[in-house]
Amino acid sequence: MRNRGWIGLALVAVGLAVVPLLVEVLDLSTFYLVFLSGILFWTAQSTSWNILSGYSGYFSFGQGAFYGVGVYSMAVLFGRHGLDWLVALAIGGLLAMLLGLGIGFVAFRLRSLRGEIFALLTLAVPFILAALVRLSDTIDGGQGIVVPVPEFPEALGSFQSFFYVCSAVVGVFALTVAFVMERTRYGWALFAVRDDEAVAEGLGVPTFRHKMIAIAANGLIGGVSGAVFGLNLGFISVEGTFNLTVPLFVIVMSVLGGRNHWAGPMLGAVYIHTLQNRLADSGFEGWSLIVLGGILILLVVLAPEGLMARMRRRPWLVSGALVATLLGLGLWGGWGQPVDWLAVGLAAAVVVAFLPSKRRSGVTARARPSAAERLYEDETPGERGRPLVVAEGVTKDFGGVHALRGVSLTVSEGELIGLVGPNGSGKTTLVNLIAGASRLTAGTIAVDGTNLAGIPQHRVAHLGIARTYQIPRPFSTMTLRDNVAVAIMFGRDPHGLSEARAAAEEFLSLVGLDHLAAEYPGKVNLHERQLLEMARAMATRPSVLLLDEALAGLNPVEVDNAVRVVRRIHDSGVAIVFVEHVLRVVNQLATRIVVLDHGVLLAEGDPAAVMSDPAVVSAYLGKEGHARSH
Amino acid sequence: MLEVTDLDVFYGDAQALWDVSLRLDEGEVVSIVGSNGAGKSTLVNSLMGIVPARRGSVVLAGADITGMPGHHICGSGMAIVPEGRRLFPGLSVADNLDLGAFNVEARPHRAESLERVETLFPRLAERRHQLAGNLSGGEQQMLAIGRALMARPRLLLMDEPSLGLAPVVVDEVFEVVANVAASGMGVLLVEQNVVRALEISDRAYLLSEGRIVMEGEPAELARSPEIRSTVLGV
Amino acid sequence: MSELQAAIFGALSGSLFAVMALGLSLLWGFLKIINLAHFGMVLIGAYLTFEVATSTGLDPLLTVVIGAAAMFVLGAVVQAGFERWQVSEFNSLLISYGLLIITVQVVSNVWTADFQRMGTDVNPYGANSIRIGALSLPLPTLLAAGFAVVLVVAGKLVLERTYAGRALQAFGQDREIASAFGIDHRKLSILLAGMAGATAAIAGMLHALGESLHPDAPFEWVGRVFAIVILGGIGNLTGTLYAGLLVGAISGLTAAIWSPSASPFVVFSMVVLALVFRPTGLFPSKAVH
Repeated sequence: MRNRGWIGLALVAVGLAVVPLLVEVLDLSTFYLVFLSGILFWTAQSTSWNILSGYSGYFSFGQGAFYGVGVYSMAVLFGRHGLDWLVALAIGGLLAMLLGLGIGFVAFRLRSLRGEIFALLTLAVPFILAALVRLSDTIDGGQGIVVPVPEFPEALGSFQSFFYVCSAVVGVFALTVAFVMERTRYGWALFAVRDDEAVAEGLGVPTFRHKMIAIAANGLIGGVSGAVFGLNLGFISVEGTFNLTVPLFVIVMSVLGGRNHWAGPMLGAVYIHTLQNRLADSGFEGWSLIVLGGILILLVVLAPEGLMARMRRRPWLVSGALVATLLGLGLWGGWGQPVDWLAVGLAAAVVVAFLPSKRRSGVTARARPSAAERLYEDETPGERGRPLVVAEGVTKDFGGVHALRGVSLTVSEGELIGLVGPNGSGKTTLVNLIAGASRLTAGTIAVDGTNLAGIPQHRVAHLGIARTYQIPRPFSTMTLRDNVAVAIMFGRDPHGLSEARAAAEEFLSLVGLDHLAAEYPGKVNLHERQLLEMARAMATRPSVLLLDEALAGLNPVEVDNAVRVVRRIHDSGVAIVFVEHVLRVVNQLATRIVVLDHGVLLAEGDPAAVMSDPAVVSAYLGKEGHARSH
Repeated sequence: MLEVTDLDVFYGDAQALWDVSLRLDEGEVVSIVGSNGAGKSTLVNSLMGIVPARRGSVVLAGADITGMPGHHICGSGMAIVPEGRRLFPGLSVADNLDLGAFNVEARPHRAESLERVETLFPRLAERRHQLAGNLSGGEQQMLAIGRALMARPRLLLMDEPSLGLAPVVVDEVFEVVANVAASGMGVLLVEQNVVRALEISDRAYLLSEGRIVMEGEPAELARSPEIRSTVLGV
Repeated sequence: MSELQAAIFGALSGSLFAVMALGLSLLWGFLKIINLAHFGMVLIGAYLTFEVATSTGLDPLLTVVIGAAAMFVLGAVVQAGFERWQVSEFNSLLISYGLLIITVQVVSNVWTADFQRMGTDVNPYGANSIRIGALSLPLPTLLAAGFAVVLVVAGKLVLERTYAGRALQAFGQDREIASAFGIDHRKLSILLAGMAGATAAIAGMLHALGESLHPDAPFEWVGRVFAIVILGGIGNLTGTLYAGLLVGAISGLTAAIWSPSASPFVVFSMVVLALVFRPTGLFPSKAVH
């Protein structure tokens, strides 16, 4: 199963190598080399865009900047100054990569960077570059630059075959990078960012670093591909380079092909380029933008997951339809050129991919024993031991509101602490602070002796803190197994993808979800998603687990099962702090209860004593005359 | 006047309410008490059409309003004082009040309603031109109540009106609730401040883990061990 | 003196872009829709002015009645579509990008890709300018500035003084509660989108008065108009006008002192800085808290 991808990539590479021979043997016109070079250029551009924007979800409107840096590096260094074209190409790639890193350094350090803001920031970059290029006489100065035909090995014959080879090398390079990322932690870090960046960071994923890697790869490939394309242009101008064509096309191609698969953007490039070409050739050039716009709108509304996802459901039928149409039309020979046959074949493939399926999807097998039956009951919580989390004088203000005031709390090995209090008492705030998700206004929190001040959240995860969310936040595009695998890949004991996937089963069975490993979070119920939260948190191998209302919205049977899972986790040697409203459960589970009210620590101690404390009773029941400090 | 029958409400696939039935007669003050997380806010949101019910019915003054879009429910005689006030912070006090009367039934009577609300809350009249977001917590709560009264409801839904307010202000708020009720308007009061809520109610329901577990006279509920056990878990 | 002339002339031209930005900013701020199709409507408005004035001899200023009515309907229809399919903020950007390129292509097919300009016989405003002392101000940009001021004032009046306008503001601040008080967001949002469309037609008319038309023009506007929307603060009408004047004046000054090619560099660097340091815009509208 996992080797299918390699075979696919190898097929693409071999196919591209064979094409020049094919062109010669079949005596096709060099048009086909040019045509394929175009597809390869767009493959490289859209694949590089997809590595950042598709994988991480940060849509960039600035692909034109990377492309333009590549084109102009080639034009200036090779065209103007006669540097070796390969050197110019390398410098173009490096400059575009540096530009990417620069954009990322500014953008990804913004707090609360939203997708739209990133899109607009990247929209501005090509405008700034275009102005600089036009201004600077050493670059362009508004006159344009002539790029001569470079010297190339004679064995290649024509410039077209030389250009084709260059494009093929860059295209395959882009696909390989995307392919490898999809199979390593580099890609999975980005998928996690796309699905839920805060959760990813909390599980130990260094999100900033991986976004920087992605934008660097985007820049490098975009720049190199632009530089190669510059060789083919002959004359280079600011207007022709920094327009909206490249940024628009890479988005349409990737959305059309599918952003979740390395080959998606390539598929989009094949479709769009062929479509453009056929429209232009048959005198419908004036329709190309209308068709493109229509495709974009229909896709966003009807099939946002793209063609690749549809086609992968029935790969044999789809490729069969394509090949059969191509061969059929070719053998008949009564109509059109091979590129026309290709266009019809591609259309047939789409039709087959979108045919309604007979088998109903969405029905999940649930015949296996339920999670509840698979767990055994156990008791006797461990002794209180070494302090793991030491919070002192913790204060947190939001604007003028004091959410927490001078709360001190120690969590020691073997503890199971129930954190309770009325609405708005600061429980979730405290959990967020211990997890490193927000900064203290005053006070200190130390985990295993390390002060959390100034430490990024993923490092807090590596110190041994894991948390779950009240409303489960699974990575929705990943299976349950992969959700857990991501946590293993970036947790305290990191592993590669395949090892992490294997190890994920162990954590899923800890919470009784192993029979659903291949399901997607959208297909399992709330209880199971909450169990998944716990499995994923445990997969980072924490020493302290923070559970934020892990039982909210469950029915009594499910509550009992969840309680058993919590006990089991506790028995495995993990200290637990849990926020909970159902006090019946708290009293049952906790070795110690901590009561917060209006941001201050009201009481702590063993359950029975705390819950009969008059201050606690009136905090809950609102006894008249009890003055609250405010 | 309000008749809720067998209501089941879900957030996605998380069930938040099971078989909730309750009744409120003309001019009654009925409170729904329970610990937080018991489903009180879900009940309010469902009555206001913000979260649709999956099963059951809501009948208001003889009209079935189950599944009606939110902006139609207001016109049928129910207005909300939401949890956390949720004023329109960038608009003035006057505008907030004015918009309370947006529904077609109340709109023609804006001037008259405004006069009544400003008599009830003289402080709001003084701060007419201030932005709602700049009022103190207590004033904001008064404004939220005033805004709801502008809709000329026959039933006022109050979601945690005491939340986050200083004890003195809480007294004021409950005084207002009692006054409103005395004018003959029905009040459905959702509160975690159990003792205070029971004091001013005619009847009460105890909600626990998404179900109505008890119904009765306030005094009866206040004495019952169930209150202590569901709210305190002991 | 020439710097002053450049700055004033620039600011006046900037007011045209401010008119383009108004509708975009309103929809983004109140409805959370980033409507790139707005630029398409400006383009159609410009060509409608050109077509109607040239073929009927109607005063180009009056053609705006036709354009505004047509774009009101178009804007409302597009918004009805967004409502129907519950389009998210981000997807609205992609979908309206699709609509924009379709519009550009349609305009190009109908009116050709060549530059078009109203002749001086039908357009009495195009070549005229008004002299104030040593300053010479072209009439089309003066008209643009006038319309910008009128639209902003009218817009503020509608939003702050009319019941529907205040309901829209309430809707922008808390959708759920607005709805709970009987504010029907569908009707209001479609109405607002219609009005935004009408402002697009006005911007198009103003553009046609002073400039030659060509179908790719929207792509030249996108950057500068977004710059104005962001610098002015999303949804902030007066801020948008100030930002338009500021961007225009800075462009004009940069062009006069440094080089015309440098103005995008300065303007977009400002945008990047604003996004990084003042994401709510340079001109705070109301201080809450």
